[in-house]
Amino acid sequence: MEAVRLTRQSLSIASAYASLADPECGGVVLFAGRVRPDRLQGSSVERLEYEADRPMALRSLNAIEQGAIRRFRLGRVVLWHRTGPIGVGGISVIVGAAAPHRAQAFLGARWMIDRLKQETPIWKSESVRPARPRPRRPSRTRGRSAG
Amino acid sequence: MAGTVRVLLFASAREAVGSSQLQPKVEPAGIGLTELVERLGLEFPRLRPVLRVSRLVVNGEYIGSKHVTLRAGDEVAIHPPYSGG
Repeated sequence: MEAVRLTRQSLSIASAYASLADPECGGVVLFAGRVRPDRLQGSSVERLEYEADRPMALRSLNAIEQGAIRRFRLGRVVLWHRTGPIGVGGISVIVGAAAPHRAQAFLGARWMIDRLKQETPIWKSESVRPARPRPRRPSRTRGRSAG
Repeated sequence: MAGTVRVLLFASAREAVGSSQLQPKVEPAGIGLTELVERLGLEFPRLRPVLRVSRLVVNGEYIGSKHVTLRAGDEVAIHPPYSGG
């Protein structure tokens, strides 16, 4: 599987781990970003919608991949981002780094996700489930409504 | 010959305009990027606050200065602050 992906298909941790296989690399770090059920003014997030300026985002992801390999001497890298609608709990991004030792793998993975968030033209927007209206209390002066 | 430039709008910029793409007409001499941005802000007042915080990309390159002349066929992308991850 390629090191950089920008796809509408779901992302798999198992595939990412397999892509990082390298007998020279004793340290493998995988980071997955997932959609949280955040609350917004009483409503809860049902899913996020991700969009990208695709050619620019791919260029950015490739530059980050190359930068990480050079800077941290990584053996293998995974930099995968999903676009389109993603439900709560779904994986939006996977960043993986394989290096001979753990320190470079941790540093490389952290550097890549930080750079991606700052530099890659990808945007998310929330789709919320509105809060349920509270059941009305019957008015004491008018008595219960008919029915 | 007069023609159009292509303006690509993403995320909050698209929401402010109600479209992901615009094709404003330009004169044969072209139009300054500053002038185009001002024109868009006048036409779409909801786009103004987004433009203030957006990065501009002309023909695939980030533009640091707005002293750029656009000609027919050029492409400008408006990138609001990124929120991937």
